[in-house]
Amino acid sequence: MSESILQINHLSKTFGTNQVLRDIDFTVEAGDVISIIGASGSGKSTLLRCINLLETPTSGEILYHGRNILTRGTNAPAYRAHVGMVFQSFNLFNNMTVLENCVVGQVRVLRRNREEARTHAMEYLERVGMAPYINARPRQISGGQKQRVAIARAMAMDPEVLLFDEPTSALDPEMVGEVLSVMKALAESGMTMLVVTHEMAFARDVSNRVVYMNGGVICEQGSPEQLFTNPQRPETVDFLMRFRKN
Amino acid sequence: MNKFAQLAADIAKLWAKYGAAYLSGIENTLILALVGTVIGCVIGFVCGVLNTIPYSKSDHPLKRFFLGLIRVVIRIYVEVFRGTPMVLQAVFLYYGLPYFTNNSMKFTSVWAAAIVVVSINTGAYMAESVRGGIISVDPGQTEGAKAIGMTHVQTMTSVILPQALRNIMPQIGNNFIINVKDTSVMFIIGFPDFFAAHRAAVGASYLYFPSATVEMAGYLTMTLLASFLLRWLEKKMDGSSSYELVQVDQLTMTAGTYSFPDRSSPFDERNPEAVKSMQREALRRQVEREVAEREGQRLNEQRRESHSVQKGGER
Repeated sequence: MSESILQINHLSKTFGTNQVLRDIDFTVEAGDVISIIGASGSGKSTLLRCINLLETPTSGEILYHGRNILTRGTNAPAYRAHVGMVFQSFNLFNNMTVLENCVVGQVRVLRRNREEARTHAMEYLERVGMAPYINARPRQISGGQKQRVAIARAMAMDPEVLLFDEPTSALDPEMVGEVLSVMKALAESGMTMLVVTHEMAFARDVSNRVVYMNGGVICEQGSPEQLFTNPQRPETVDFLMRFRKN
Repeated sequence: MNKFAQLAADIAKLWAKYGAAYLSGIENTLILALVGTVIGCVIGFVCGVLNTIPYSKSDHPLKRFFLGLIRVVIRIYVEVFRGTPMVLQAVFLYYGLPYFTNNSMKFTSVWAAAIVVVSINTGAYMAESVRGGIISVDPGQTEGAKAIGMTHVQTMTSVILPQALRNIMPQIGNNFIINVKDTSVMFIIGFPDFFAAHRAAVGASYLYFPSATVEMAGYLTMTLLASFLLRWLEKKMDGSSSYELVQVDQLTMTAGTYSFPDRSSPFDERNPEAVKSMQREALRRQVEREVAEREGQRLNEQRRESHSVQKGGER
């Protein structure tokens, strides 16, 4: 199992008396595009935040290239630099321009020189179509544009895995498409991605594995064809039915 | 009316004799207030940052102990210097230092003593303001910074503090204006500020009211000027509300999106690739429809045939 980037064993998370994640097991191989679907409150986002150590899991282990990152001596910032994250609420730095947003991490965390970082950032800003807006501040651009900048910011760090926490949920319907198409292009370029999403079409068409979570456990997982056309568990059938109706 | 004329005459008389003293008093007051506020802000920022270092139960016990200790020390500092009058702090430090060290250590100049007192006093207020400023920045900003691998110090210096600074600018302005006025208590240790000039002038001339009028006008001018400058500074920090689109470099337009429907891009429905795939899809649907139709016809024919066979059987 040494080639898998992330391996999660028996992961649990409790907030007070509320058990949000129960005994989660799954692995992420290089090149995987995994969609995590499920109803609100099923623990999808918490799982993603645990993987990025934004939440500290209560028990279990997360192996990153075979090394457990939940032990006490782990350098969390150094680990996070390898695991990018895109948030539902974008979280762009409001005190910087679009370009500075994509440069600051490279300069301060990866210690690249400013010129190199700038060129690298521009490469990704072009890929997400935000190159003309490099001088704008986050408050001046639309939600979809912010999310595309956030993706470029995460990509500019050259992460091994990119985590998406409901990247389109805070967007107006007409902006969802532009973000999804950027993500699709990213997936096709071979990026390893973990996407928590309510966009079933994206989960079906782009990912190579779909994980359905319910009540803090992984209820069912498999290839998109398998999960969407021939779900095995009654909960999955129920969830997908509800989605079709909406 | 002639009272006003008399006041004007008295002020003129005072100014002729003590004008230079008043002006140098104003200068000293402004320098002391400015330096005190700046150093106080630095103290406040350091305290605010130390106060907000996060720690969790999984951290090393020694780290937790030290962070806890730092918080307690800062708390005591804030409560003591916020809870006692500055005039007493000045006396306490200025005379207390030589008292405790048998005159081996003392403030060599009244300037040093005044700056120290004003700085630590302002620092105590600013520590709480900075803490508030840091809390007021959206937690998402911290998460965004953490997610790209920044440490606490990097997050603070690059992302949180610049925003917190902007948020507490009004508070810093408040402190500066308060310092302009409150440095007047420094006459207690013999600091030559604007108010000390008043005391010197009335000691000799007994013109209390005219001198007080000069003082009132002087302090008001300083504070009004200060608030005007602070407003201007705040506006400058916010930056211009417009931004320039970069359009000289055509390369940058290779990856446009729906925002540029008149230009081609990989994510655009006008992109030849996308058009091709849409055409393919349309073709596939058409073929499917035709196949389905043919299938339907075939079934119909079969049914008709079996029907006629049945009829034939009856016959």
